[in-house]
Amino acid sequence: MKRTVTLLMCFVIFGVSFPLFAGGQKEGKKAPVTVTFFTGKSETVDWMDKLIADFNKKYPGIKVTQEFQKDASSVIKVKFASGDIPDITTVVNQDYIDQGMYMDLSNESWWSRILPSIKDLCTDIKSGKQYKVATNVTTAGIFYNKEVFNKLGLKEALTWKDFVGNLETIKKANPGMVPMFLAGKDSWTLGHLIEFLAHGIIKQEYGIMGSRKAFIYNQQDKLKFAQAGGPMDIFAGRIMELKAKGLINSDSLTATYDDQKTALATGKTALISQGMWAFRDIMKINPDAEIGFSPFPAIADGTKPVVISAEDSAYAITSASKHKKEAVIFLNYLFQPDNQKSYSEFLKMPSAFTDVNADWGPLKDDVKKALSIAVNIPFTETPSGFSGDDAGRMVQQLIAGKYATSLDFAKAYADTWNKAWNAAK
Amino acid sequence: MKQKKLRNNLHKVMAVPAFILFFIFFIYPLFQSIGLSLTNWNGFSKATFIGIRNFITFFSDSRALNDIKVTVLFALGSAPLLNIFGLVYALLLDKEFKGKSLVRVIVYLPAVISPLIMGYLWYFILQPQRGVLFTVLSHAGWVISGNWLGKSGPALVVLILVNVWQFVGMTMIIYLAGLQTISPEMYEASDMEGAGYWTTLRYVTLPLLLPSIKINVITNIIGSLSVFEIIIALTDGGPGYATESLSIYILRMVHGSFTGYSTAVALILFFIILIPVFISLKVMKRMEYEA
Repeated sequence: MKRTVTLLMCFVIFGVSFPLFAGGQKEGKKAPVTVTFFTGKSETVDWMDKLIADFNKKYPGIKVTQEFQKDASSVIKVKFASGDIPDITTVVNQDYIDQGMYMDLSNESWWSRILPSIKDLCTDIKSGKQYKVATNVTTAGIFYNKEVFNKLGLKEALTWKDFVGNLETIKKANPGMVPMFLAGKDSWTLGHLIEFLAHGIIKQEYGIMGSRKAFIYNQQDKLKFAQAGGPMDIFAGRIMELKAKGLINSDSLTATYDDQKTALATGKTALISQGMWAFRDIMKINPDAEIGFSPFPAIADGTKPVVISAEDSAYAITSASKHKKEAVIFLNYLFQPDNQKSYSEFLKMPSAFTDVNADWGPLKDDVKKALSIAVNIPFTETPSGFSGDDAGRMVQQLIAGKYATSLDFAKAYADTWNKAWNAAK
Repeated sequence: MKQKKLRNNLHKVMAVPAFILFFIFFIYPLFQSIGLSLTNWNGFSKATFIGIRNFITFFSDSRALNDIKVTVLFALGSAPLLNIFGLVYALLLDKEFKGKSLVRVIVYLPAVISPLIMGYLWYFILQPQRGVLFTVLSHAGWVISGNWLGKSGPALVVLILVNVWQFVGMTMIIYLAGLQTISPEMYEASDMEGAGYWTTLRYVTLPLLLPSIKINVITNIIGSLSVFEIIIALTDGGPGYATESLSIYILRMVHGSFTGYSTAVALILFFIILIPVFISLKVMKRMEYEA
């Protein structure tokens, strides 16, 4: 009897107090809306954390949280499949645009402030709409040790013959120095070589919009991936040549991206192929390093040197987001001129906003010169199943000697590309 | 009467939560996987039924066949070594000597560290040109390329050795527990019969250790055939795909928009693991019977 009474009393107390607490919560402070921001840009995590903290303070009704994943392009796929979809992401892929995964940003106010060339690169070829917005212009090319070049009287190479000639001179004059350093353990760095050198031939032949269409619609008559004398065949031949002549590091398959940056900063190598995103770290390792920047040499006869000039730091709002309005508020805050100035200077990369005047770094003049003498090309829009990592692994195989001829590599590349493109349909 | 019936069947009621969890986390996903493996789902579009085409594709996929070879070679190297060294350590550490507990801790310690961390640690030791081992050997005057991870053969050997080094403690603990259950009288009797160390090991220790051997063989086969983290950290499956295991291939296929295909590969891996496990169980059952 006693136990029954106690039990009853407990129910009564719980029954009375529950609505009170629930009511208290309702009438009290409203819980902030959480906006999740998913990024794969490791170098900006700390900067973004600071900005988010400021934003959360200024907008108490919205709470932005940042999630960083190293392999973000793969992780986002799992997120889309499992329904754990972030509100804002830096990962934007054509396949997901085709599947309607992103919100249409075409009518947002910021476009009038963005460079027209960057707006073009943010425009979806198929629909003509903008599903992403990029805040910066990145460049990629050859970073070289100015001191070594000056000492040996070398000039920036614009043709393959001159490029190899430079590397051979460096090797001969400095036996202890690696002429060109590859970071094969981080396969994306090798994948970039394909995007910059091999795809560079296609991009300069068909122009930005023409080549984007060729990649997105897999127009093999233009891409010529499997053809003898095509871009992949030429590219593979060039890499095999560098290896055969001992012009790349002997640990090119196991060295990391960090090793590569350190090698250039500390004078262990004469040059590397990288993007402007690496420059901040290089200068951090050795602030006194004298680094120059030049375009990639033309790898095929009759073509021109190229330099990547593309959108960087792209943001998209997912169509599944329940807080689109709040996500736009956050992006508006992020895109404020002061914040973008700070971002550009932090990242050492020019801003895509016309009203942002940032002093982004000592390579300003070199980059300006490279952009004026070389064909400006964008990144490649690959099928989601054939990422830069995947392409890089094929270059690893090439360096490891898996392909007997450069054409074997070209055919294998075409086969893998086609498979991935068909799978994403 | 009713109460007695209830009491007799209580164990069945108690098993219901476990059964529900087993159904949710094993049976249901297994059947869902079978369904997915028969589609061309890419992870985001609508899936289309394609029958057993994924399974047919698998056997003509040179990368997948290479990964089977890598996985099986890894298991063939790793599982026996784990058992041999685990048993040797257990036999040595079952004896009384000063500092025994410390040695046991040292041998077991790597097993409690994440394989991913262990992989990265070994990467910094073995990295060609700038790893700890290369630096030490170079300073000692040894001229070596140190390219252990850049070639497929040596890289696979390194992966096997690192895996054995990490998990030998786990195997050892199970053998040690088994050795503790053997009654000292058995050894005394063997001693009185005039049996030497090897005879006692062959006819007393090993037969009585069969339950531990069974556990170790099975877990090591499963662990070795589903190896993932240590390869990711040390070689990332490279150079190229030279050390890519089937588990890594499955993940990369999921990320590469081949979700249906990757599920088919996962089911194939399930059977690849099941076959040696069943064979081992059968062999050990016969050995138990003979013992």
